[in-house]
Amino acid sequence: MYDSLKAKKEAEKRALDKTDQEMIEKAMQDGLETAWDRLAKQQPQCGFGQLGVCCNRCAMGPCRIDPFGEGPTRGVCGATADLIVARNLLDDLSVGAAAHSDHGREVLEVLLDTAEGKSQGYEIIGEEKLKVVAEEYGIKTKGKKKEEIAKELALAMLEEFGTIKNKIQLAERAPEKTKEMWGKVGIMPRSVDREIVESMHRIHMGVGADYANILLHGLRTSLSDGWGGSMMATDGSDILFGTPTPNTSWVNLGVLSKDKVNLVLHGHNPILSEMIVKAAEDSKMKKLAEAKGAKGINLVGMCCTGNELLMRQGIPIAGNMLDQELAIATGAVEVMVIDYQCIFPSITHTASCYHTKVVATSEKSKVPGAMYMEFKPETALDTAKEIVKTAIENFPNRNPDRVKIPDKPIKMMAGFSEEAIRKALGGSYKPLIDAIVAGKIKGAVGMVGCNNPKIKQDYGHVTLGKELIKRNILVVETGCAAIASGKAGLLLPEAAEMAGDGLKSVCKALGIPPVLHMGSCVDCSRILVLGANIAKELGVGIEDLPIAGSAPEWYSQKAVSIASYFVASGVTTHLGIPPKIFGSPNVVDLLTSKLRDHINATYFVEPDPIKAADKIEEEINRKRKALGI
Amino acid sequence: MKTVFVHPENCIGCRHCEIACLIEHSQTKDLFGALFENPKPHPRIHVEVGLDFHTFPNRCRHCDPAPCMQVCPTGALSRDKETGSVLVNYDKCIGCAMCAMVCPFDIISFHKVWNVSFDHEVNAKCDHCIDRQRRGEVPACVEACKTGALEFGDANEIIRNSRKDFTLRTTIALEGEEAPAVPSNIKAFRDVMAKVAKIGPFKRN
Repeated sequence: MYDSLKAKKEAEKRALDKTDQEMIEKAMQDGLETAWDRLAKQQPQCGFGQLGVCCNRCAMGPCRIDPFGEGPTRGVCGATADLIVARNLLDDLSVGAAAHSDHGREVLEVLLDTAEGKSQGYEIIGEEKLKVVAEEYGIKTKGKKKEEIAKELALAMLEEFGTIKNKIQLAERAPEKTKEMWGKVGIMPRSVDREIVESMHRIHMGVGADYANILLHGLRTSLSDGWGGSMMATDGSDILFGTPTPNTSWVNLGVLSKDKVNLVLHGHNPILSEMIVKAAEDSKMKKLAEAKGAKGINLVGMCCTGNELLMRQGIPIAGNMLDQELAIATGAVEVMVIDYQCIFPSITHTASCYHTKVVATSEKSKVPGAMYMEFKPETALDTAKEIVKTAIENFPNRNPDRVKIPDKPIKMMAGFSEEAIRKALGGSYKPLIDAIVAGKIKGAVGMVGCNNPKIKQDYGHVTLGKELIKRNILVVETGCAAIASGKAGLLLPEAAEMAGDGLKSVCKALGIPPVLHMGSCVDCSRILVLGANIAKELGVGIEDLPIAGSAPEWYSQKAVSIASYFVASGVTTHLGIPPKIFGSPNVVDLLTSKLRDHINATYFVEPDPIKAADKIEEEINRKRKALGI
Repeated sequence: MKTVFVHPENCIGCRHCEIACLIEHSQTKDLFGALFENPKPHPRIHVEVGLDFHTFPNRCRHCDPAPCMQVCPTGALSRDKETGSVLVNYDKCIGCAMCAMVCPFDIISFHKVWNVSFDHEVNAKCDHCIDRQRRGEVPACVEACKTGALEFGDANEIIRNSRKDFTLRTTIALEGEEAPAVPSNIKAFRDVMAKVAKIGPFKRN
């Protein structure tokens, strides 16, 4: 029996945002199973797995180590808890790096097709960025057509996925001092795919038993993501669709429309969704929608595909990872388009409770029960139109009696690419550096990562974000973290009122929010470039800057890679959910303490956002002191 | 009398005991065989999660006197003299659930089992792995437990060992040294998870 009071209480425990709570209650009323229900059904979760001491790699196993030291201390092969934990972590990290980098590869393939005139609907919009990046790759741009440059650049970048030249060009963006540090520690990335393949090699039985050596390769693999695959995804997308500039839009489930055809664009890669934006502008589509009784077509984003569209096109965003089922629960979604990553495998099961159709578009990411309309660069616009048409034709199937949409979206600002931030500062980081030196701004934090149903949705991000800006620490965000802050109203210039006096004055002078939305999760690479450029202007390494990273609600292997390339770049990073390492005191000690001697940064775990803010501030003060400011 | 003693501080919620119990009470006594059996075998030990993600493996305590035996109207429950185990005669069980109502540990649930003459749900509780015990083996759940959360033996002897350990730790602590009951990394992990529990859906009402 549905108990409305009980549902309300439960919703308050599950999510911070009122509109999310409202839809959680509706989902419960409709008998819809969500991630929170599935998490409850998974209790208790296996302690061997949580501690990282379960090894299920080979057929002599599965093995597990008794963390209490009374039972088995080695797997059948002889691996200790240290080795098993290290191999598992390297595995997770490499999965994350592969996900980002494979996304990057696909963007570059579309760039190449577009340069060769083989794609449909695309053009090279980011000409300025194309030239900048091409010059970095040593490609001459003078007197050349943009398509010629783009072809050479796309080939040069794609070559780096399997390059034998033992270097990734974009990593050259790092300051000399940071690169020297990488060289000294032996973690300079050699190619994108190579590091991931080598990780797969290293986690095979009998390839090394030294946990520290395995984790060191993890840092190198993460750098091949952050300064390689992810950065290529960001730059490739900027070249194809334009570098983001500040814009204003709307966020939360209230962006869904009561009387228009709703399409939710969910996943991570903007290549098809950008074409859907184009297709929805087609006057024929608008007329068709009207003929079906709708007042128009409403495109909204979800997760990082949503962030990509928000950054460049100002498309409103419905929510972050845990909102995907709640969007469907509104009963007002005609089509949810999915590309890949973070899409619940049960999403079609969820959709089957309503009229919603799920359209899978990637050959890599098919889902049973979904319509499949494969994305191909040469037919992208046709496919996009077909998808929009499918949504319009599904509009009459919407049952108004089952529709409930929260009616108050929140205004937000996005579009803060590194280039846009630099421009807002007047072309150089000097004003920001001056503010940091003067102590008006103590430092900055890159807050990234996901939702995790183990923590109240958005609570970690929003509580920590508010606490940091109060302490005059500027926050830059990507991914689910940025969407969480949007919902909480932190991505508005008015939010400067919540900041400490120093940060407030800087934000007001520049007309910017105290929390800056820098893009999707591959756009964490923008944070690296931001750090690199500030460090270069100061003549120091990234590892010297008074900055930190944070992933308060992470769940994904991609977050393991991001946190690791932050740490490997010299940025101490906070995790709000414990990584699967506690089964090995040696690994914990290395990652949370000993690393500092080598790369001037560590990871640290702290679920409580206020205590996390204390530790972040402490780290920022430590680095300020070392800089003599 | 031998018992399965629970050391809850060592339970990490892996549910190996549940799987081992299920296999032991299946017809085929084999994991892969058990998957295809009809009726489906069920575990008779249950690992539930409580406050702050702490877990407890709960099974029949084979009480003496046993409230379930006292209330069973058909005499389906009896005690094995040799091992002290409370056993169920599935053919006599009428599924009335009186036993479950009086069970102090709420460990009795009703399922179809393979070794019964006619098709009905019966009290399918822990039989103390009586067949294994008769072969001189420890119960399946104890064998499966790799963290020492389940220990089979004479209750007084187990308690005496725990007491010795307690005394040792207390005297070490008197010397001003640390003497934790669980390793420090496990304690650190549990502290973190207790914090997680307080900021999400697992917060206590």
